Parts: sequence; structure tokens; C-alpha cells
Amino acid sequence: MISAQNISKTFKLYQSPSDRLKEIIFRRCYHKEYHALQNISFEVGEGETFGIVGQNGAGKSTLLKILTGVLIPDRGQVTVDGRITGLLELGTGFNNEFSGKENIFLNGGYLGLSHSEVEKRLERIVEFTELADFIDEPIKTYSSGMIMRLAFSIAIHADPSAFVIDEALSVGDAYFQQKCMRKIKEFKDSGGSIVFVSHSMNAVKVLCDRAMLLLDGACVEIGDPEPVINTYNYLVAKRTKGEELKFHASDTGESSYGNEKITINGVQLLDEQGNSVAVAQSGGPVQVKINLTAHETIAEITVGIAIRDKFGQDIFGTNSFYLNCPISVEEAKSYSVLYRFDEFNIGAGKYSITVAAHSEHEHTNECYNWIDKSLAFEVVQSGDYSFIGLSRLTPHLSIEDME
Amino acid sequence: MVSSRISFILEMTRRDFVERFAGSILGSLWAFIFPLVNLLVYLIVFGKIIGARLPGTSDMYAYGIYIAVGIIPWGSFSNTVTRSTNIFSDKKNIITKLNTPLPSLFVHVSLSEALTFIISITLMFIILALKGASFHCGYFLLPFVFYLQQILAIGIGLLTASLSVFITDIRQLVSVVMQLWFWFTPIIYVVDILPDFAQKLMVLNPMFYIVDGYHNIFVYGAYPVFKPLIILTVISHLLLAFSYMTFRYLEKDIRDFL
Repeated sequence: MISAQNISKTFKLYQSPSDRLKEIIFRRCYHKEYHALQNISFEVGEGETFGIVGQNGAGKSTLLKILTGVLIPDRGQVTVDGRITGLLELGTGFNNEFSGKENIFLNGGYLGLSHSEVEKRLERIVEFTELADFIDEPIKTYSSGMIMRLAFSIAIHADPSAFVIDEALSVGDAYFQQKCMRKIKEFKDSGGSIVFVSHSMNAVKVLCDRAMLLLDGACVEIGDPEPVINTYNYLVAKRTKGEELKFHASDTGESSYGNEKITINGVQLLDEQGNSVAVAQSGGPVQVKINLTAHETIAEITVGIAIRDKFGQDIFGTNSFYLNCPISVEEAKSYSVLYRFDEFNIGAGKYSITVAAHSEHEHTNECYNWIDKSLAFEVVQSGDYSFIGLSRLTPHLSIEDME
Repeated sequence: MVSSRISFILEMTRRDFVERFAGSILGSLWAFIFPLVNLLVYLIVFGKIIGARLPGTSDMYAYGIYIAVGIIPWGSFSNTVTRSTNIFSDKKNIITKLNTPLPSLFVHVSLSEALTFIISITLMFIILALKGASFHCGYFLLPFVFYLQQILAIGIGLLTASLSVFITDIRQLVSVVMQLWFWFTPIIYVVDILPDFAQKLMVLNPMFYIVDGYHNIFVYGAYPVFKPLIILTVISHLLLAFSYMTFRYLEKDIRDFL
């Protein structure tokens, strides 16, 4: 359980560190202020995973440092029931000349474990890293992935009540990342709190129960990961294009933004005959129709769609740019863009469609209109072919006699 | 919380010793070899080769012992001050990444220096015993004198460490001052050889009383002079309290600046 109440942190920027002392002695101001965090409050319950997202410089690292006690907030309070560990920097406090085993003891000591406490865990720690053959070698011979394994294993075996995961985890190979994820899940199921910081929005959507979006040190949005990430994407779009983007959000999770040179009026799912439907047959023919109105004449725009599953993961997305189908629009005219799928090869389940009109290949350049979750629909399995999963692959099965 | 701090301090201290001799065949045996060689050098070079005699005695080794029992505690004192001064920048990599209890770092430095001191002084005892020196009750006061000098050292070190984060020059200044302080303390000379004005100034040097205490115990078989040591007890604790308050006042900035 982690509880942060009204955390604020201001960094005073001095020309030189000695100015700080001059300030105390002469009682004059020698600094510029930088508000790294303003009034941040949140709680992470037992067994909960809490995501923190935001662009570079939004205050994520400062917040983590305050959570772990490396920095002291100006105002507000952080309470953690028990120990908080994580992978804050790869192998902090590791000594390259020492063996892996020695470093387990050293690092454990930094985390507040006594020698005998580490000894009790040593076997489990080494076993998890799968580095038994190298554990007596100096870690200067280790690869960065191996060091990450060691650091992760110590941190997770130190019986923390809260665990911080950041990008450092991505150093490991796929096998070990999955192993770490399983371990983290075990930790979570046993009541541990997890703080997850990542720039991978899909990972945040999949892993986190709740998320918080930071912008310039302030909390913009906190709650379900999906709307938080939609807002994040909006902020990314806004940053690339200096102008004001209009932003609308509704309770259903639909949110839209853009400079509205083009507005998307509606999205429809159509069957073969052109009737609007809410349920599509897996593998059957489906059309997605996007109605839009141009308020300016633009030589080339891109209209794209993305299909997301119930976890908000992108499972498919493309646009007219990638399909090599340039669209030009004239002022005050309306158009409908039609995506026709002969075989809608996704598995049964609930999905949503996100649509966008923007310039070039991505919305980050100039975004006219972007609507998250503009349409929800369901896919049902057709009677003739059964399978599991999201993708409807159609394998051919054959059997041959050996010899 | 307290137990985790203690294990942190112990681990750091253990690391000090392990790290110093990491990879060597003799390992921590070196921790005994260095001071032993030093002691023998003092005894042989000053006693036998230079043939210096401590005023008032004819003992060949007395001068060597005089120097050794001054230089060993001075080493602990001086190392504690300089290492403390540099501790924040030395341990920057862990302070800025892990929740490090900063005051524990000073306890660690002092503990580590105390161990070195104990090793050297134990060897000193062995040499004295071999020489046939007799035991007297003054030796019981050794821990007190050592405690006092270390409180003084941490008091200074904590203050200089806190300030050196903002003024890097302090680190250089401390090395220079420690060098001068060494020569201003009667460690390899006797105070009587100083001119009058310098002897009067000696009143202001707390390390004079400390080193004098060791000399009395080891060389003259007497008790330390109590009055100045008691005054020093008060002063060094006040200094430590002042340094600690200064540190607490600046702690947030120290962490920000590192």
C-alpha cells in the first residue's frame, strides 16, 4: 500500500551550488524555480498496479525518487507500508570487481537486509537469475541483461510491499521479461503494490488497474488506464502541433481532439448489403464507413482506423497513407471513406474502432480530428469454423505417413 | 527500521574491508600487515637508526612508541574527517538511487576507522607486552579518548560534508587544513621544543589534548589530564549537535544538488 498526499516538489535552479549558501546567509533570492511536481495525490492499494505516464520531463522520475525516499518533497507526505524496491537504475551499488554473489550481499545490505537475511534468500535469488554458473565470476564479465536479472532478483526477493518497475526491465530478453512478469504477477497476487512507469502505452493498458497522467508536474488525469492513455496520445499530438486542439471527452470513454479542419461526423459498421450493424461475423465481409466534413481545402489527407480489443490494445490499424490511397478534400464538402474487409479475420469478442483524419502517416504531425472508441462492436464466431484467440488464421491441416 | 539501518552500516563497513583487499591472496591479512610494518618502521627507524631519544628517558624504543601512539589515532581522526567530507560525492551513485539514510554513512566511516584503529592498537599492545611493559588502569580510558576524538571528527566531517555539496573547495581546504593540523599537533615532536607563543596557542588545539592523552597512557604510564578532556567532551558534543542541525536544515538541498 502506497499513499501519496499532495506531493509538491520545486527545484530551485542556481547558477552555482554555492548560491544556495549565499541565499541562506544574505537572505536574498539567487534562484529560478522549477515546479517539478504540483499537488500530486494518489493511492496504490494492495494487489494493485498503478501506471504513471507522461512525456519526458513531466515529473515521473522525480515522483519515483520521492516515493523511494531518495528525494524529499517540499510539501505533502508519502507513506509506504513496508519496503519499496525496484529497478530504479540498473545495478545501483553493484561493484564491478566483485562476484555476483558478493554483490547480492552488498545490494541486499543497501536495501536494508542483514547478512543472514540475504543468506536465507541467496539460493532463491540465484535460482531465479539462472546465473548459477556465473555467480562467482566478477560482474564486470556480465552483460547488461545479466546484471538486470541479478538486480531484479534481489529487489523482488527482498520482501518488498511495493515494487517500482520502469524501463530498465526492457533490457532483459523476451524469455526473462516474461519470467519477470510472472514473478511480478505472483507478487501482485500476494498483495503487493506495483508502480509501473513506461512509455509503452500498450503495456500500461494491459498491466495497470489504474493510471495517472502527468503533464509538467501536474496530474492531468487519474483513473482507468484507457481514457488516461487516450488523453496522453492527445497531448502528444498537441505538442507536435503548437496550435490549440479541441478536446472532447464523454463518459463512455469516447474522446476526440484535433484542430477540426476536418471533422469526423460518424463511423458505422456495415454488413455486405450496407446495413448498419453492431455485431460482425468472424471471417465474414464487413465494411467500416467514416463520414467526414472538410472545412478547408487540403490536397492530401490521411484517414485511418484502429481496432482495439476490450483491454484497449491495438490489434489492427492502418490508414489511407499506408494503403497508398491519397484523399483530397475541398472546403465545405462531406465525404464518406469506406474500408471494406472481405474477410474480417478477428476472433470473437468486444472491440472498438478509433478513427482519425490527419496529415501524412501519423497523427503527431497535424491532427485534424481523432476520435477514440468512436464505435463499439462485437464479433461473434460463425458456425463453420471454431478457433480461439484474436486472429482468425486459416491453416490447412494434412497428415502424411512417415517413410 | 533501526535494524535495517544497522545492517546497512555493517554491510558498508564490511564492504570497506572486503573491497580494499578484493582479489588478493592474503586477503584481510593485509589489514594487519600494513599497521604492523608501520609500527616496526617507527620503532626501528626512530629508535635504532636515527637514535632519537624521548627527553627524560633512555629507552631506545620510547620515541618510536611516542610517535606510533600519536600517529595511529591521528590517522583515524584525519581519515574520518576527510572521508566524511567527501562521503556524499563518493556515495553519490547510491544516494541518488536508493533511499540511503545519510547520517548512517558517517557512522559507517567512523566504525570502519575504529576497526582499523583497533587492529593497530592491538598490535601496539602486543609489542608493548613483548617489551615487558606493565599494564596500568590508564588503559581503561583508551576507549573514552578514542570516542572523544571520533565525536570531534564526525562533528567536523558532518559539517564540512554538508557544506562541500555547495562549495566544492571545502574538500581541498580540508586536506590542506588536516596537513597543517598534523604538524601543529605534537605527534612526531615533543611540545617542549616549540617556542613559547606556539605552546600557548596549543591550548586552542583539541587534538593536542587527545594526543597528549594517548602519550600519557602509553608512554608515561599515567592518566590523561582530565580537565581539558572534560571540556572537550562538552565542546565536541555541542559541535556534533550543531553540525547535525545544519545537516538536517540542508538535507533536502543536499539530496537535490547531488
